[in-house]
Amino acid sequence: MRSPGVSASVAAGAVVLILVAVCAPALLAPGDPLAVSPTEGFLAPSLAHPLGTDESGRGIYTRIVHGARASAGIGVAATAIGVGLGIIIGFVCGLGPRAVDAALTRVVEVLYALPTLVMALLFVAVIGPGPTSSILAIGLATAPGYARMVRTRVRQVARSDYVAYAQHEGVTSTAAFGRHVLPNTLWPLVAMITLGIGQAIVWVSALSFLGLGAEPPSPEWGSMLNAGRVYLSSAWWMTLFPGLAIIATAIALTILGRRLSKG
Amino acid sequence: MPQLRRAIPVLAITSAALLLAGCSGAGDSPPTGEPGGAGAGGTLVYATGDAEPTCLDPHVGGNYPQGLISTQYLEPLFGRDAEGEIVPWLAESADVSDDGLTWTITLRDDISFTDGTPFDAEAVKANIEHLQDPDTASSTGYLSVKEVSDVEVVDESHVALHLESPKSSLLEVLSQQWSAMQSPAGIERGMEENCQAPIGTGPFVVESWTPQQSVTMTRNDDYVPTNPELDHDGGALVDALEWRFIPDAATRQAALASGEVNVIDNPLPTDIAAAEDQGLAHIDAPRPAASNRIELNSSQAPFDDRDVREAFIRAADPSPGIETLFAGTASRSFSVLSSAEPFALSDEELFRTDADEANDLLDAAGWTSRDDDGVRTKDGERLTVRFPVSTNQSTAAEQSLFEQIQANTAAVGFDVDLQPTDLSTWYGALAAHEYEAVSAPYTTVGPDVLRILYHSDGTVPAPSGYFANNAQLTDPDLDQLLTDALATTDADERADLYTQAQRIVLDSFTVLPLYDQQNHFLTNGVEGVTTLHAISTPTFVNAALTD
Amino acid sequence: MSAVARWVAAKVGAAILVVWIVATLVFFALRLSGDPLEAILGGPGSQAGEETVQAAIDAYALDRPLAWQYLLQLKDIATLQLGDSFARRQPVVDLLAAQLPRTLALAAISLAVAWIIALTGSVIQAASRGRTGIVVGAVMRGLEIVASVMPQFWLGAVLIMVFSSGLGWLPATSAGPGAAALVMPVVTLAIPIAGFLSQVSRDALDDADAAPFAVTARARGAGEVRVLLRHTLRHASLPAIALSGWAFGNLLSGAVVVEVLFARPGLGRLLQEAALARDVPVVIGAVVVVALMYVVVVTLTDVVELAADPRLRGRTRALRSPEIVVGA
Repeated sequence: MRSPGVSASVAAGAVVLILVAVCAPALLAPGDPLAVSPTEGFLAPSLAHPLGTDESGRGIYTRIVHGARASAGIGVAATAIGVGLGIIIGFVCGLGPRAVDAALTRVVEVLYALPTLVMALLFVAVIGPGPTSSILAIGLATAPGYARMVRTRVRQVARSDYVAYAQHEGVTSTAAFGRHVLPNTLWPLVAMITLGIGQAIVWVSALSFLGLGAEPPSPEWGSMLNAGRVYLSSAWWMTLFPGLAIIATAIALTILGRRLSKG
Repeated sequence: MPQLRRAIPVLAITSAALLLAGCSGAGDSPPTGEPGGAGAGGTLVYATGDAEPTCLDPHVGGNYPQGLISTQYLEPLFGRDAEGEIVPWLAESADVSDDGLTWTITLRDDISFTDGTPFDAEAVKANIEHLQDPDTASSTGYLSVKEVSDVEVVDESHVALHLESPKSSLLEVLSQQWSAMQSPAGIERGMEENCQAPIGTGPFVVESWTPQQSVTMTRNDDYVPTNPELDHDGGALVDALEWRFIPDAATRQAALASGEVNVIDNPLPTDIAAAEDQGLAHIDAPRPAASNRIELNSSQAPFDDRDVREAFIRAADPSPGIETLFAGTASRSFSVLSSAEPFALSDEELFRTDADEANDLLDAAGWTSRDDDGVRTKDGERLTVRFPVSTNQSTAAEQSLFEQIQANTAAVGFDVDLQPTDLSTWYGALAAHEYEAVSAPYTTVGPDVLRILYHSDGTVPAPSGYFANNAQLTDPDLDQLLTDALATTDADERADLYTQAQRIVLDSFTVLPLYDQQNHFLTNGVEGVTTLHAISTPTFVNAALTD
Repeated sequence: MSAVARWVAAKVGAAILVVWIVATLVFFALRLSGDPLEAILGGPGSQAGEETVQAAIDAYALDRPLAWQYLLQLKDIATLQLGDSFARRQPVVDLLAAQLPRTLALAAISLAVAWIIALTGSVIQAASRGRTGIVVGAVMRGLEIVASVMPQFWLGAVLIMVFSSGLGWLPATSAGPGAAALVMPVVTLAIPIAGFLSQVSRDALDDADAAPFAVTARARGAGEVRVLLRHTLRHASLPAIALSGWAFGNLLSGAVVVEVLFARPGLGRLLQEAALARDVPVVIGAVVVVALMYVVVVTLTDVVELAADPRLRGRTRALRSPEIVVGA
């Protein structure tokens, strides 16, 4: 592996910070993100509250830090669904008979082309809004993308020279699968997942914005953004900072993912 | 030529885009009519944040957005003044028989609908029958004339309503927009056409409706001045009224501030507070009938225990939140009825906040042990309160208030499960009794709302599963008071009966009043905007543009 | 069969495939909650009357076997019989037809603007060589990444705050006359697309720049800009053209957010209101329309690609999708 560049290092550092926020938020923000203090509502950023307070007097900084778990959690859950489905379909296509591959791939291509949000709205309209349906909707909508990628990679590896040599030397298909196909397929997937989590967080917060996600009083970034937007002209910090958190996370994961995919 | 070929992709896309834009989209703006022109004339632009009606005829269904817009082109039989007294409008007066079962209404004889059909007793009969017809699918208007068994045309300007049971609130409900008068010929065109442009007697006429964008109304030049809020002898002063749908509050406010629109509803509390500094005028018109309140389901655990209900109320402490979240534009209410109702009974002491008392009450009620999250338990059950919230009906500030109540009651051991949902799921949860607390606004006119909300009949679901008595109160004494109040037309007797009824409701601790149903409007560049005192909708019959 | 006939046949086949897949997707989605009847009527609290319930059962053949329902769904979608919206008491097709042109116009303009932004970026980058070139390149890369991950609702809200409430330069809503009201919605939609197009163009530009024909042109004394305009730009725009089909899909997703935020009427806003009201027939109709639009756009971009790149002619091409990792 090449040595990481400046941007990748910064991105990795950011991701580490986010992981700390997810696992041990109290280290970064000792306050209670759920403690309301009505008299301290709508305070601008100050020393006491570095990023200001929201409408119920809760510190934005504290809520962003503690919200990392919810937001990252949603992003990971949605991506997990997408990746899980994608792996199944991708392997079936990549290792299966040509006819199955051809048919399924066409289907996956079409599904992949449909806009994510439109598909997500279809699922949400049927199941009903809420955080669970947001996760399910985004997961299902992004699955075709992962399926494509897995399938391409699996086919590449399965037909590669070293697998052919291995089989020639009598290594069983299962062993070949375990020792060659699987590891070489999954590493690029890691890169893709990293990118995907960032995107999933953005999509889920878009659903929150449209009134179809979120559940109080969880400090999830998307619902913070949605709540803050109402007070945009007076308490801009309620919208700006959660938005920056989402963007920063997505960028960090994107840079990291790209770096990983280049090997 | 090589350069040309290279440019083809960019040119192709750009020209396609411009072509499409030229044919539709950007060019497809409706008659926007820039607000302008001092004094008479011009187009007044109103932007609403409420849901766009699916039908402009308020007989069909019957929600507040329909009430808002139909105020401009339909008029009811009676109006209401600032003191809550019934005043004449399309009808001149009404008499009731001694047994309370026959109301004879005298109508004005000088009015016609804008399609030329005369307004007379036949028209009234046609309207009431339209409300009662199941095909109309009326919810609100239907309830107002439910007791009417027969409409008798005595002569052209006299109509007699025969009731199955006495209804002292009849005139009050006839002042609502949802039972306003339409042209019978208009109704006969069929629902599809009538929904697009109902025909009435009002100061404006519906001209066109571009879905999701706006409804355009033009001045009714033949308007007969009957509106009780009129300050001049004549019809509307502006030429036209454009009713735009802008669901996003921030966008709506920006449009008002820039002068693109003249009047908005549902402004954000922070914008109301800043209105004066920005040169905008503010109209505060609380909706009548019930206040905004939280109701506790007394038919199942844990709120079947009065002490637990009281504990919840002692711990909730909504006042500081109301103060900050609404930026001082909403004041705490301690009454079940709106402050616009003359019979409202208020009891501040009854709703005092006292966390210690709450803890004592819960201990005494047997909720003594706590689990790891600090939630009280009893016989293995957590003290959980399911609280479905309809995001369509609850504003952002109100939802934040509920969050604060959630945190406040958590301090004494309640586990409030706030569930923001869409309207349909919310109705479903209520119908299935999957709630312990709920905030359900109800808009009508008059203190009879107490009967709708708290009479035990209100616990019986309609075929759709809907019931109005969310508190699930079934008190025979209360029922008797409310039925008696409905039967008597004597004002003092009504006042006394309704006061007693409210006492029972308040003492049951099934209701936590919050504030009046908020109904604010901000205006820019227009004067003479007033609200009707029936359901507090604005009327633009006196409005004139100022710049 | 001539190449043209084969090409047409491939396009028609692709369109049929899309319709079939969308119909199946819809069939599956409708039964996701367990009770398709409830979904069609508008959720558990729809309070639909008996007649309405029966009408829904008849329209979707819910009392017949599952296979029959599936075939009925296929037939309906193929013939664009999208049924009625029970919530609004109107045919779905009418609702969609009224809103579609506006959204299409918005999407088309935004795509054009995104192109212009992306190509401008490429030109700037190519024109700056040496030390400035490296700095410019780094800045561009940074901007591209930020642009492509920026949530559109956040971007739009910030634009409104700055340019409408703050500076008062632009109107917040779309109903104002003409171009001024289009600026912010278009910019909000265009920026993420421009980010992606820019990245793709730049990669292709770098490749083309190192290719023999470019090297030769420079060796013969052509200046950088000349090389760019005459040779490499066309190569750079190829993958971006192919991406336009995908970009269009992304634009439709973005249109949902942008139309809601800027109070513009259109398909996106209709879709959001329908999802909020759980008006499933309308949502299904919108999905079908979007899928068909996608087919049309991809066919158009194929035509444009064939016009721009003579190397592609003479080979039939199937439905193309970008090799980019993120979804639309």
